[in-house]
Amino acid sequence: MAPSSPSNTASQLSSTATENDLQPFFVLHKASPRRKDRTSAGQGKSRKRNKLSPRLPHSAKKQEESTDEECDRYLCQQQQIEAFDIVWTKIESTIKDVLRELNASVFNIIQKWVQECFNTTRLVGEPSISVATRSFPVLSNTTPGKLYSALVVTRNIEFVDDIMTFEELGIFLKSHGCHVAMLSSMEFSLKNGIAGCLKALLREFLGNSFDPADISALASWYREQENYNKPLVLIVNDLERCCGSVLTEFILMLSEWVIKVPIFLIFGVATTVDAPRNIFPSHALECFCPSMFMLVTPAERMDAIVEAILVKHCTTFNIGHKVAQLLRNYFINQDGTVTSFIRALKVACLLHFSMEPLSLIQGRILVEDQEGSSGLSPETLLKCMHELPSHARNIMVDQTNESMAEGLSELVTVQKLWSTVVLCLYEAGKYSRVQLLDLFCESLNHVLYPSRDSVMSDEKDHGLSSTNDPFQQYSIMQSGGLICQIARRVRDLPPGKLDQLIESWDKITADISEIHEKLKILQSSVRCQDGKSSRRSSKDINKRCDKDSRMSNLQAIAFLDDLVRNYLRPIEGMPFNEIFCFKNVEKLQSVLIGDPRRRIQVDLLEFHNILCCSCCNKSGKGLLPSRHDSSIMYSLAQEHGDLINLHDWFQSFRTIVLQNTNKRKQKSKQTPLSKKRKEMNGSADQNEASIQARFCRGITELQITGLVRMPSKRRPDFVQRIAFGI
Amino acid sequence: MDKEESPQIPRRTTRSLSTPSTSNIVPAAKVNSSLESLTINDLLVGGDPVSLDDIISSFPGRSSQIHEIVRLLGPLNSPLLPLFVYGGASTGKTSIILQLFRHLNRPLVYSSCRTCYNQRILFESVLNQLLLHSKNAANCYANAKRCERPSDFVNFLREALTGVINNLKEKSEKMISKKKVHDGKTGNMIYLVFDNFHLVRDWDKSSTILPLLFNLYDMLKMLEVGLIFISSTSPDTFYTNMGYVEPIPIYFPDYTEGDIRQILLRNQANQKLYSSFLDVALKPFCRITRQVGELSTALKPLFEKYCEPLSDKGKGVVPSEDMKRRLFNHIKPHIASSLNDVFKVSSAPSSEVETGKQTKHQGNPKRSERSEEIGDLDFHMSTSAKYLLISAFLASRNPATLDASLFDSKGGSDNRKRKRKASEKALEKKEMLEEELLMKGPGTFPLERLIAIFQCIVSVAEDPADEDEQKNEELGAQCGSGSLMSDVLLQLSTLCNANFIFKGKSCPIEGSTRYRSTISEDLVLKVARSLKFPLSKYLYRS
Repeated sequence: MAPSSPSNTASQLSSTATENDLQPFFVLHKASPRRKDRTSAGQGKSRKRNKLSPRLPHSAKKQEESTDEECDRYLCQQQQIEAFDIVWTKIESTIKDVLRELNASVFNIIQKWVQECFNTTRLVGEPSISVATRSFPVLSNTTPGKLYSALVVTRNIEFVDDIMTFEELGIFLKSHGCHVAMLSSMEFSLKNGIAGCLKALLREFLGNSFDPADISALASWYREQENYNKPLVLIVNDLERCCGSVLTEFILMLSEWVIKVPIFLIFGVATTVDAPRNIFPSHALECFCPSMFMLVTPAERMDAIVEAILVKHCTTFNIGHKVAQLLRNYFINQDGTVTSFIRALKVACLLHFSMEPLSLIQGRILVEDQEGSSGLSPETLLKCMHELPSHARNIMVDQTNESMAEGLSELVTVQKLWSTVVLCLYEAGKYSRVQLLDLFCESLNHVLYPSRDSVMSDEKDHGLSSTNDPFQQYSIMQSGGLICQIARRVRDLPPGKLDQLIESWDKITADISEIHEKLKILQSSVRCQDGKSSRRSSKDINKRCDKDSRMSNLQAIAFLDDLVRNYLRPIEGMPFNEIFCFKNVEKLQSVLIGDPRRRIQVDLLEFHNILCCSCCNKSGKGLLPSRHDSSIMYSLAQEHGDLINLHDWFQSFRTIVLQNTNKRKQKSKQTPLSKKRKEMNGSADQNEASIQARFCRGITELQITGLVRMPSKRRPDFVQRIAFGI
Repeated sequence: MDKEESPQIPRRTTRSLSTPSTSNIVPAAKVNSSLESLTINDLLVGGDPVSLDDIISSFPGRSSQIHEIVRLLGPLNSPLLPLFVYGGASTGKTSIILQLFRHLNRPLVYSSCRTCYNQRILFESVLNQLLLHSKNAANCYANAKRCERPSDFVNFLREALTGVINNLKEKSEKMISKKKVHDGKTGNMIYLVFDNFHLVRDWDKSSTILPLLFNLYDMLKMLEVGLIFISSTSPDTFYTNMGYVEPIPIYFPDYTEGDIRQILLRNQANQKLYSSFLDVALKPFCRITRQVGELSTALKPLFEKYCEPLSDKGKGVVPSEDMKRRLFNHIKPHIASSLNDVFKVSSAPSSEVETGKQTKHQGNPKRSERSEEIGDLDFHMSTSAKYLLISAFLASRNPATLDASLFDSKGGSDNRKRKRKASEKALEKKEMLEEELLMKGPGTFPLERLIAIFQCIVSVAEDPADEDEQKNEELGAQCGSGSLMSDVLLQLSTLCNANFIFKGKSCPIEGSTRYRSTISEDLVLKVARSLKFPLSKYLYRS
């Protein structure tokens, strides 16, 4: 791009590297000498933000010497990174555990299947060593051997999530005494052909690579004593992406050897079990003896992660309502993978730690938590705050200290209560297939139940028996949304299930004494009603039973309502929540959904917003000399429709560029660029040629960024604008 | 086979190579010792001796071919012109050749051109067998000789063949001297069998390898070597130039229905029951395929179904007429459906329970707002991918000229009125058009058209969102249509990877790539339903 701006770009690059100032796209600009001092604008800005912590008193009076600040800043950054590391490691390991637990049952089933298949192949009879390593097929009167294959349905069209799953499956099977080979679709490509995948197969099993990879080597290897009594498992984790013809060849070759080398195939299938039918021809299909296994759905996986990370709070890191919504929508509308959700969470976490100085308390808390002291005592928090470098210089009154500590500990208590309520609701929501992710979003919304206190006072007046439909008195039944839906479902629950539900609530609330007591009351009253109904004579039962069960449902709802009204308070509205709660949705969105196409177009048109150079600001809207060629060209292209006449375009470009050099000649002589220009001006021909060259380069750049398409044969003098995404 | 002969083998290169290093690999040592003792007898098919009549009876409808081959192979030590055995898949070519060699007890070198997928591996595999080489950990599973060029191959082959033939001669002389006639004479002939020979045509345009293999007979000029090619295509598909001894063709025709019946009956426990089953099921299947392999896979689950009403899964039942009729009625509805079902997936019992649970869950009344999540679709897709899939389907189905009228602001309703008024002649014309469309299959479309349709349906679909999904709209407020659009190209690549959209080959920058949607209408309907998208409104049908 612009030849004379290396220093500038370098500094900008370094600033992006060190800081997560993630501006997605830069239009490079011809350097004007003024801008030299603006070396790290992005960094400066974010650093400034680092220092701002609006609610905390000490930050308000930050008028210190710059050297001190520098030192401080550095220390603070160090600590922030440290804290982030601690917190994120914890979150990551929790996620890993959760996922492993989710997959455990399927893995067990698959392992059993492998063992069963292995046993059946052994039943057929083992060929002797000399037979097994010979090149011709085993003669038998039975039908030809089949390749046992497992289709593991991943139930997500995106594949990323399951790479890890299959890796873990491989490790799991290996630990259960199988030889495992993992191949990916890369190996089954047309380019490498059958040789490539055989080579990879031998490398996986035998450990070293063979030049002409030959399956007979595998047969010989398998007959070695220590290998022989274990099944061979081949995992291909993305069946749909494999090249069909290569895979077919491979399967046919394996089926020739199936009696000598009993190999079991595990295919990851992203879409439907019909996928193999679309990939293989029938003579390959008949080699298979397929079985199907289901992995958990991405939604279930997501719920498990949300539960562990955001509801049960394995760390103190939290996200605000808006952020939760963004993540949810991103999951549902855009990407649909757990991986990207985790990545988004990580970005949020990183942003949080870099923007919120006090957030580094979290790291300390976590460390101390692990060291043994349970819970969060206000003293711990206080101590942490004392250790803050910024705190040391700001002597605070003891009272503020204490009130702050109290506030923080209250925050933690409220959070705990909140998560218990959410879990209770989720437990009830399981009967109506409510997803935790949605419930989570809704329960974080502090606007949803604005008038808790007023409703509560109304409630008192109503009493339990006043209305015809006793259920309608509860606010959760009226509010709409998921919680209401859950409540409705609870209302209609049959008694048996209700008991189950109450039992599960019992488990959830065990640690929280406040809620647990209420639950105990509910339990006793429900039990009491059960007792009553059982004592009644048989003829009454049909009539009464219904009403009784309705009574217990009613009480359950009353309990839920109580919980929602009193304890479902997201911490977002409370003081000090900024320490734990990440709320900056705009920043996250811009980082997460870069929308690069749109960004490119916007940046090409409004590049001065990023560069903030003096020359372009002065002139207003007009197209100016110092602009970058492709930017000029794109602006010019705006005047055309979908089709741009190349000649017109070039003419207007030329006018601007020439006007540019004429002005330059008089104005600035110090830049190396203009000197170069002047030399060029020596011959008009050369100049013309260089303009054409620049024009061509501009077009190529626009083409590479995907904004225009080269002229077609039908219309050789028009380029077409590819106009979408804006 | 008997190990008695092993000390006579002069060729011991492999052993002398491997013995010093076996001490390094202790656990493999024992296997090595047994593996190493490959003798000339390992070139025999082995197994129990089998009589010609047994072979003929176990391959119904093949007696003429068997006799022909036996005649051509001739008595012991008679030279053989190259044979070319051909016929469709699973017509018994390989099995018959191998069984005959088992019967004749003559040594052969067998290489399948499927396993040996290029000429180098083919060469080395042939040489391995001739040199009685066995791969093991000690020699790093390497081949006996490294041989890439055809000329090398011919030299090595001649060398190895002379070795083996001398060996054989020695052996037969010994046998004659010892008068061990009952042991079966192996003779002096060695046969090279190339199976799946039709695949050789695909190896680097077969410019060198095919003439080489056909010429091998002339080049070697060894009377003791017989060549047998087994192919599933006729010799006409091979001959590119002449100048060598033409192999003698032997054709294996497809089995007749009666033959197939006999073959299928061969290994059944309850012959009578199976025969009554075949009475019902074989005919419709035979109309589709005559390949035994395909038939037996297709019939197996059907037979299981057939036996379902019987108490002990039809082990010892002799079916009466009445029972046959009953079973026929039972199986009748399943036949037609399984005709199309080449590929049946059985799910593991435990996971079946799980899925059963899931369907029950789904069956729950859920007039909820959340039904858009998965719906009837049994895999997860993001909303924008779903819309993109629908637009790809529409782009493939609808003629491009009608896009404007289908996607204009008035929607499809205007269109429909016009259709109703159409005259009979126009209707006829449209019928023809529709047929043509069906014959042509899904059409191709450029990226721009796909994106334009996508933009249209997304904007339309998001307008009336407030009617049915208040909550989602509330949640989706900040993630409006703009962000649904944001990474369409990523979604497109996802769909391409899932084989839902087929991408023609072309330069991606130039943008002249054309796409084609390859999904079935059923799947699109499912996707549309999960989005509550009125697909039929936008689908052009005459």
